Order: sequence, then C-alpha cells, then structure tokens
Amino acid sequence: MGPLIPNGIIGGGWDFVIAILIGVAFGFILEASGFSSSRNLAGVFYGYNFVVLRVFFTALIVAMVGIIYFDFLGWLDLSKIFILPTFLTPMIVGGVIMGFGFIIGGYCPGTSFTGIAIGKLDAVFFTVGLYLGIFAFSLAYPLFEGFFTSGALGNVTLTDVTGIPAHWFALAFTVVALAAFWGTMFIEKRVRKNMKQYKF
Amino acid sequence: MNMNNTIIDQPKYINPYLGGVLLGLLILATVYITGRGLGASGSIKSAVVTTSNTIAPEATKANSYMGKFVSDDHSPMYTWLVFESLGVLLGGLLSGIIFGRTKKFRTDHGPKITSKRRWIYATIGGALFGIGSQFGRGCTSGAALSGTATFALGGVIVMFAIFGTGYVISYFFRKMWI
Amino acid sequence: MNKNYIILTILMLVLAVGTIFLNREEEPKQIEPSKLLQEIIQPTRYVTTDQVAKMIIKGDPGLMLVDVRSNSEFEEFSLPNSVNIPLDSLLTGDNLSYFGIPGTQVVFISDDAIKADQCWVLTKRLGLNSTYVMLGGLNKWMETIIDPQQPSDDEPYTVHETYSFRKGAQMYFTGAEAEVGGSKVKVEVRRKEKTTVAAGGC
Repeated sequence: MGPLIPNGIIGGGWDFVIAILIGVAFGFILEASGFSSSRNLAGVFYGYNFVVLRVFFTALIVAMVGIIYFDFLGWLDLSKIFILPTFLTPMIVGGVIMGFGFIIGGYCPGTSFTGIAIGKLDAVFFTVGLYLGIFAFSLAYPLFEGFFTSGALGNVTLTDVTGIPAHWFALAFTVVALAAFWGTMFIEKRVRKNMKQYKF
Repeated sequence: MNMNNTIIDQPKYINPYLGGVLLGLLILATVYITGRGLGASGSIKSAVVTTSNTIAPEATKANSYMGKFVSDDHSPMYTWLVFESLGVLLGGLLSGIIFGRTKKFRTDHGPKITSKRRWIYATIGGALFGIGSQFGRGCTSGAALSGTATFALGGVIVMFAIFGTGYVISYFFRKMWI
Repeated sequence: MNKNYIILTILMLVLAVGTIFLNREEEPKQIEPSKLLQEIIQPTRYVTTDQVAKMIIKGDPGLMLVDVRSNSEFEEFSLPNSVNIPLDSLLTGDNLSYFGIPGTQVVFISDDAIKADQCWVLTKRLGLNSTYVMLGGLNKWMETIIDPQQPSDDEPYTVHETYSFRKGAQMYFTGAEAEVGGSKVKVEVRRKEKTTVAAGGC
C-alpha cells in the first residue's frame, strides 16, 4: 500500500500541499520541544540539557520500530522508500564538519528555521552562514569533486552491509536509547545543580 | 530542589519524550505518505542555486555542482524540501505563539560571551554546517534522523560523526556555552 | 512522574522486542489462486466490439487498446490508436509501464480472445487492475463492425438499433481508413511515470 505518493495512491499534485503540512508539524514539534533555543541544543554536549538526546532518540526508535511494524502489516513497501546513499569517507568528513558547526553555531538547519520563526537573531545568523557555506561549497566543488563521490556504496541499509535483520538494529537502538534516557536524567540533575545561571 | 532557583524563566516546553514520540510518528507518516524522510538543509541549497541562477545563469549551469539542480521547466525553488521548510517556519511560529515565545527579537548565548560574538560564531557554525551537510548528503534531520530511521548505513555514519565530534570537541568550546 | 517513565520504558522495550517475533515470511507478491479463479470465471473482463467501437468513436481518453498479436500481423491490420505489445514481449522492457495508470482502461486485442485472455491473466497476476479483453477479438470485430449483417425484419427493435450503430461505425472505420490512406498515424500513448523516489535528504 504505502508509500502513497510513489505508489500513485495520492496524486503528485498533492505533493507540495503535503510537504507544507508535514513541515508545519515538524516545525511545531521542534519548537514545542525547545529546539528553537541554541542553549537547549548545545546543552546536550555539556550535560545541562539533554532535550536533544531525548527527542532525537525517542523519535528515532519510534520510527525504526514503527517502520518494521508497518512492513510486517504490509502497509509499507520498503523497496520503494528512499534510502540515503552512502559515501563512506565524505560522510564521515561531512559529519565531523557538521559536529564543529553544531558546537560553534549552536543550531542545525531544521532547528534554526524554528529559531527564526520565533525571533532568535542567532538563528538568523546561523541560516545566513548556512547559505554562505553551501554557496562556498558549490563554488569550490570542482576542487574536490573526486573526493565528494568517493567511497560510494549505493543506497545501502545496515542489513545490506551486515546481513543482520533490521529488527535487531531497532532493538539495539531502543535498548541503548532507553538506557541513555535513564542515565542522562541523573547527569542532568547533577550538572544543573552546579550551574549558576541558565537563561532561556 | 536547588534546580528551581538556578533556572530563570523556564519556558513551557512539552515533555521531550512526548515530542520525540510525535516526531517519530511524523517520520513514520512522512515515509508512509511520501516514501522519504524529513529534511532541512536542502531548501537552503535550493535558495543558493536560485539566487546564483538569477544573478549568473551561465556560470550556474556551468558549475558542476549547482548545474545538476537547474532545470528549464521550473525554478530550483520548486522542490519538496523548500515547501517543507516553509512549513517548518509556519509550524515554529504557530508553536511560538501558542506557548508565548514570540515576544521580541533576541539572541541566545552563553553567560561568558556577548550577543555580537554569538552572531559571529553562529555564522561560522552555519557555514560549517552548510559545507558538512553537502558532504554528508544531509543534515541532522535529513541524514542522521530520517536516514537512520530507515536503517540507511549513511544515516548512522552521519549521526555518529556529528554527535561523536560534538562530544569530543565540546570541551574546547565550553566558554561559548557554560 | 517516574512511574510513568518506567511504564513507557517497558512499553517501548516490549514493542521493540516484539519486532523480533514478527513472522516475516517472504511471500511473492501475487494474487491468490482462489481469487484469480474467481476473477477468471466472471465475464466482467470482457468488453464487446460494439463497446470498443463506441469508445473509439467518442475518443474516450481513458481507453488504451493493446494489440497482443505479432508485429507483422499488427502491421497488416490494426485498430486505430492501438499499440502493439506482442504477447511474448509483454514482460520485457518497460512494457508494463503502460498498465495500471489511474483512470485508464486497457483493452487487450488479438485475433480471437485467447491471446488477449492470456495477457489478461498475466496482468491480473501482476496485480494490475482495469485491464479488459475484447470479446471475440478482431474476428468478431470484422464480423460485427466492418461487415455487419442486416437482421431480418422480425428481429426485436434492439437488434436493429445495434445494427444501425454498427453501420455507422462501419462508415467511421472503413471511411477513416481510406482517408488516412495506409500511412500509419503516430500513436501517442501515455505511460505511467517512473515510480522512483525523488532524491531526498537535506
């Protein structure tokens, strides 16, 4: 049955309407969870606010486990969903650069949009930086074109690479995430006790 | 009990686990309806290609990266992610209004730095994130979250690279935040 | 509050562990034999030559005629606006992309209805809907549309009505063919858009 649009159950004309609706829900959830504040986001790296870890990993395990149930119930044709292509070294390098960007900038692209929506100036600057970064990347692209496409493994899933069925990964992520939720609850309490000021 | 004194003006946020479950269900719904996940930085890429295409169409088409996203039938802005990002802005605003967080323009920064410094850092961080998201084929929402949720190897790599790096280097940037 | 979290933790764990016990048998995607039999014994897949003629004359945009005879036979004679997909190449290439377009009816045509019926069964097994078979095939077409027999006077009114329609259709098809004068009209056919997912990500 699903995915609905690639299977032609919902016409392509609805694509953009659905995009806006999904975006609204996405923005609402991010903002309501406190992702519009860079201090909340950065807190995950300093132990004073683990909201990122909680929301991110809860979403991740719910989606992972959910997809497996959807597949089992025949609602979702997993061969038709988009699997992010893997480019081994460029992705590691990109992730490291993004890690620096996250700490220095305090946002990630999606959260900076919600920051702009409620009037956070640092989010505006972050988005300007994002624009400049991508622009610079595009201009300099010929210099590292070879590297950019190196290590291509295609649209592979964890199961394709390891041979381990997806539900074991879902279970592993769930166990680790749940353990992390309990662990971070205590860390947060201790760190916050020592903080002098935490202004939103 | 000490906690309540140190945190000033704690805004009303929804329970993070509720937010997480809702976000997870949204990813499920998105995959179910569109066959793809969420994303964000792609819309900025579209904006970059659009402005570049308006100012210097020839150079943009000749650029081996941006040229891929230029099409004669429609503007590069006419993509799924641009509409989704507009939705994110609207949704953020809606939530901000409902929970009373849209009072005035303001800047979040650590106690040891000024707003101006924070702006400079935010711009630098944004630029890094922009570059990184191109190499990583997506940012935290597109690659790390949606990618991992669909069990893509690339998503897991990006996720661990982002958060791993964050924890490794956080000590050196602590003055910015605590 | 902590109690709720414990319950939620256990719930999530149970759900995750539950995925392991899901019975994930790889079933080939096809229609069940009993269901297929049901469909085969029902005559709803047949459309008469009269109906096809009417749809062609009206220029029904949802109609797609698929001629499943061989290439040479198709060259010799074919219905206007029909496309040729020989039975043996039904599954090759992207021929299948002709079928299953929402809002179109595919009608299979062969000399009699046998080849067309075989094609219909194949598409059914592939789970494609709205495919039909022209009853009696081109033989019947010749008999009814191209060369209709005048009924005797004591036949009921409806038979005469059909006859007058056929007579008109005969004019339409034979006349049209004379006009075109042998030169094949390029047929524009819709194909289903490729169902690849847009390159996603950020």
